[in-house]
Formats: sequence, structure tokens, C-alpha cells
Amino acid sequence: MPSRSIGHQLRWLSVLGSGTALLAASLALLFFQLHEVRSSLLRRCETMADLIAFNSAAAVDFGDTEAATIILRSLKTRPEVISAGIAANGRIFALYRREQSTVRPLNLRHGPSGYSFTDQDLTVFRPISSEGRLLGTLFVQSDLSEIEETWRRFAAVTGFVAIPALLIAILISQLPQRAISRPILDLASLAASVSSEKDYSVRAPTVNSAAEIEQLVDTFNQMLFEIQRQHVEIQEAHATLEQRVADRTSELQRANRAKDRFLAGMSHELRTPLNGIIGFAEFLADGKPGPLNDKQKEYLGDILNSGRHLLHLINDLLDLVKVQAGKVELRVERFSLREGIDEVRAGVRTIAESKRIEVRIDVNPELDFVTLDRQRFKQILFNLLSNALKFTEEGGHVGINAALHGKGRFRLAVSDDGIGIRSEDIGRLFTEFEQLESGTARRFGGTGLGLALTRSLVALHGGTIDVESEFGSGSTFRVTLPFVTGEHA
Amino acid sequence: MHRRRAWPWVLVIVAVFCVSQGRGNAAIPEYQVKAAFIYKFATYIRWPATTVPDATTPFVIGIIGKDPFGPALRDLVRGERVQGRVILIMRLSRLEEALRCDVLFISSSERGNLRQIFAALGGAPVLTVGDMDQFAELGGMINLITTEDHQIRFDINKNAIDRAGLKASSQLLHLARIVDESRSGGR
Repeated sequence: MPSRSIGHQLRWLSVLGSGTALLAASLALLFFQLHEVRSSLLRRCETMADLIAFNSAAAVDFGDTEAATIILRSLKTRPEVISAGIAANGRIFALYRREQSTVRPLNLRHGPSGYSFTDQDLTVFRPISSEGRLLGTLFVQSDLSEIEETWRRFAAVTGFVAIPALLIAILISQLPQRAISRPILDLASLAASVSSEKDYSVRAPTVNSAAEIEQLVDTFNQMLFEIQRQHVEIQEAHATLEQRVADRTSELQRANRAKDRFLAGMSHELRTPLNGIIGFAEFLADGKPGPLNDKQKEYLGDILNSGRHLLHLINDLLDLVKVQAGKVELRVERFSLREGIDEVRAGVRTIAESKRIEVRIDVNPELDFVTLDRQRFKQILFNLLSNALKFTEEGGHVGINAALHGKGRFRLAVSDDGIGIRSEDIGRLFTEFEQLESGTARRFGGTGLGLALTRSLVALHGGTIDVESEFGSGSTFRVTLPFVTGEHA
Repeated sequence: MHRRRAWPWVLVIVAVFCVSQGRGNAAIPEYQVKAAFIYKFATYIRWPATTVPDATTPFVIGIIGKDPFGPALRDLVRGERVQGRVILIMRLSRLEEALRCDVLFISSSERGNLRQIFAALGGAPVLTVGDMDQFAELGGMINLITTEDHQIRFDINKNAIDRAGLKASSQLLHLARIVDESRSGGR
């Protein structure tokens, strides 16, 4: 049940209002009339009683019942008088009663003068006296037919005037009600259509109605105008924003491509002279142009180390740029995981032996062949392993552990008992060019590119990498990779 | 149209209230009633304004001839007043004294002297009351009559009252049989 309509409520309100007013007016009129009729009846009866009391004084005085009765009988002309009588010396001296009427019980305790209304009659009492001598008491008893007549007239007026008037009031009340509810209903349906069709260009037609309704329509139209304006503004802003985003994006893409090109080109350009430097340095170190003294050998070794480090750095950088530019294509091949790991260990043996670090390998026997980019896999492991060796003190331990990890995946963990990583640094660990405390970098060397590149390569294989570390007790880097790249579990 | 109740029509409950009047006529001696009438007549007759004296002058009720009232009239008027005047009962010994009266009761013993009495009054404002046959027709003003059922009625000779300059109230006239000297009229 929906809440009732304005029209309905207005109708009820007006019916209630006019009905109440009519009822109040009718009742007021009724009571006023009753009061009038009553007091006029009383006045008339009192006048009659006064007259008869005066006229009958002598008859009572001289004990002439017959004469008194004749005087009382003059009341015959008053149809409302039921009875009248004179009491003297404690008995009824003379009595008149209307034909076929009953004389109702009388109570003369009201004394010689006064009146008494009952629901059936009115009795007026008057003293009969002469020269100050009280001779007797007159009573005139009247019926209340006039009051009954008033009630009947009221009923008739109510029936023939008040009820039709109420009906007319209801009919008239429909008119303003329509003038109020119609525009509101129109407005409601317009609001509904605006809401559903999002057409903010429509306007509610101005109406000739109550001031509040007109105000409502005006406000509604203003609101529509405001919504329309904002709607257009938003659309324009949206379009501008999209354009700007597109512009910025393409700008960025251009810039990024330029950067990549620059870096790729630069790396290549850098490698060429560097290869020359390293090549000639090796040539010198081999002692082919001539014998070198110890000092010269030592310096030449430094040149070679620096050159190789620089080459390594440039390679990493080139790789990272390629990976991030999506230019690396994986050359997937099937190979033995154990072999791959062994090959990497062999690559770092010199460093490990020079720092007397034991590298333990533990490969789950169930793990056998994997299908990955063999070179990239080795690069990942090499980076992790060389990091582990780098940050492990002489005589420490480094472990490689490979195990099944969920369906179709394995986990490669490289752990050390080196210096570890502070927990607040772990978040920055895989970001390019970020190195943990410059002091550490200086002490252990490092490009700041290794882990970023590693992460990119792992991601390229559809794997994940994370690290667990306790500062001062060592770190464990864990790489999860699929057995077959491109087949995710 | 009347609402009716099946009650018997005479259901008149008369509570006792004070009416300071003598008791009913039936058991009362005739002259006691007549004495009361004479006194009451005074209240329904107006004397001409010129002759009305001040309140200190007594209101004189004279009796001429044989007094039939005994102590009744005297007892009756004791302490009563007419127009504020003390009532004085006077037995006339001489005819001239009649002019001093306001009311003159002419005893039936004076029936033979009526002409002289009326002549002596000569149109003076004296209310003449009698209780003899044809008193009013003979020129008296009010004649008291005892009916067969022992009720007291009265005849009034209105002309005689008018001639004396007195004024009888219409109420009184209503109760009386009006007569005059020339013919005997009925009510």
C-alpha cells in the first residue's frame, strides 16, 4: 500500500474541515435556537401566568371558584398549555386542563413564584395576592412541543441543507485539489523520465497553480538547468582529461622508447671500446708484447677487473632495459635442472674458493628436467649466488636448495649466513639502482641492477621471487618457477 | 400532538405552602364570611383621589342599624390595614356620621330608612354595602346574597358606585351580578 496521494489527503482534509465547520455551525445554531425557544416559551408562560394571577385575585379572594375557572379557561386559546390551576388554602381552588390532556404531577415546592423545566413540560408558578395579602398560587403547565418542533426543524435543515451543502463543499474542494495535485504528478513523471533517460534538456512547463507549486516547478527547472550545466562540464572535463591522458601516455611512451633506444645504443657503444680495453689488457697480461714486472701485473689485473665489472654492469643494464621494454624473447629448451645448477656453481667456483665459502647443493631427486630459457635461468641463479657469495664473510656457507612447490612448480632457494638485510630495506631490494647502505655497497661492490634484473627475468618466466632475512644472520632468496614456462599451475 | 402518559389526569400534588387566608366558607358562620367580604371590598374599590387622606387617618367602616356581625368584623380587621390605613369599625348612632365613613354597612333593619340614608350620603364617596333583598336595585352599591348552597355572592349597582365617584375594579365587577335601579339585570 503506497502512501496516500495529495489529492486524497486534500479531499479528506477539506471534507473534514467543512464537515466540522458545518457541524459546529449547525450545533451552535441548534443550541442558540433551543435556548431562544425555551426562553421565549418561558417568557410567554410567565406573561400568561402574571395576567391570570392578577385577574383571578378577586375571584380567589371572594372564593368564587366558578369565576376563577372561567378566567383559567381563557388559556384555551393557548394550545401549548396543558393545564393550569389555582391552589389556595392547601387545596385546588380552580383547575383548567386541555382537552384529552393529562395533568402531570406537580411539585409546588418551588414556592409561590418560579418555574420548573422537566424534559416533558414547563410549569410556571405565580402568587395570587391582593393588597399584599397572599391569596393562593397559580400554576400554568405548558408542553414543550415548540422545543420538539425546533428539533424537528433542525433535523429537516440538516437533512435538506447541511448534507447537500457538505456534498457541494466536497465537489468544490476537488477543483483546487486538482490544481495542486495535477502539476505535482506531472512534475513527478517528468522527474522520473529525466532520471531514466538522462535527458537534462527538458523543462517542466510553468503552471497556474498555488504559489508553492509554481515555486516548486521553478526550482525544479533551475535544478535541471544546473544538472545539465554540470553534466556538460563533466563531459567536457572528461573528454579533456582523456585527451590529456592519451597525450601524456604517448609522450611517456615516446620518451620511454627514446630512453630504451638510448640505453641500448649507449650500452652497445660503450661495450665496443670496453672490449678493446679488456682485450688489450688481457693481451698485455698474457705477457705477449713483453715481460711485465710485478707492479705492472698487479695494475694490469686491476684494469682487467674494473673493465670486466664495467662490462658486466653494461650487460645487466642492457638486459634490464630489454626485459622492461618487453624485447626479450625466451629461448625455451628442455634441460636438466641439476646440470644447470652445477654449471652456475662452476662459474662462481673461483670466487667461492678465494673466500673459502662452501657452496652446498641440494636438489630434490624428483626434480629432473625443466623447460625454461636455460641462459636466463642460469643468469637468475648466478645473480642470486654471486650476491650470496658477495655478502658472506670468508669461511661462511651458501646453500642452493631446489624442491617441488605446488603443482607444476618448483622452488629454488639460495641461502647464506652472511650479513643479512634490514627488514626496512627489503621493500627496496628489487628496485633498480637501489643499493643498501652505501657503506655496504662500497664494501662488497655491486651494480644495484642485479636483483631488479633477476626479478624481471623471474617474472618473465611466470615465477615469483621473495626474500627472507635476519639482519646479521643471513638471507634466503626464494624463486618459484614453473617446470614449463607458460604452463601455470 | 401531545405526548401522553397513562397516568390518571388528576395527579396534582400540592405541596403545602403558606396562604394567609381564613379557612373556606362552608363551615364558617354566614356573617363571618360577610365581614370578610366587606373588608375585602375595600381592596377592590378605589376612592376618588381628592378625598384620600393621609395614612394616619383611619379607614372607617361604619355600621348603621342592628349590627349582625357581633365581634366577627372587629376581630377580622384587627391589625389589618386598607391602603396603609388602620381600620376603624364605627357603629353609627346618628345619620350624619355616615359621611365620615369610607364603607357603610346598612343593616337589614334599616330597610325602611334606605331613602333617608342615601339622601344623607348625597353622592359622597361612601361605599354602601347591604345584605337585604333588592338592596342594590334600591340604590345601594353592593348587596351580599346568600345562595341556596350557602355561598355568598353579591350584586353590584355600578351606576350607584359611579355616581359616588368610586371606582370598582373590573375583577370585582366580574364576580358580581350587575344591577341598577330601573330594572333587575342578570349576569
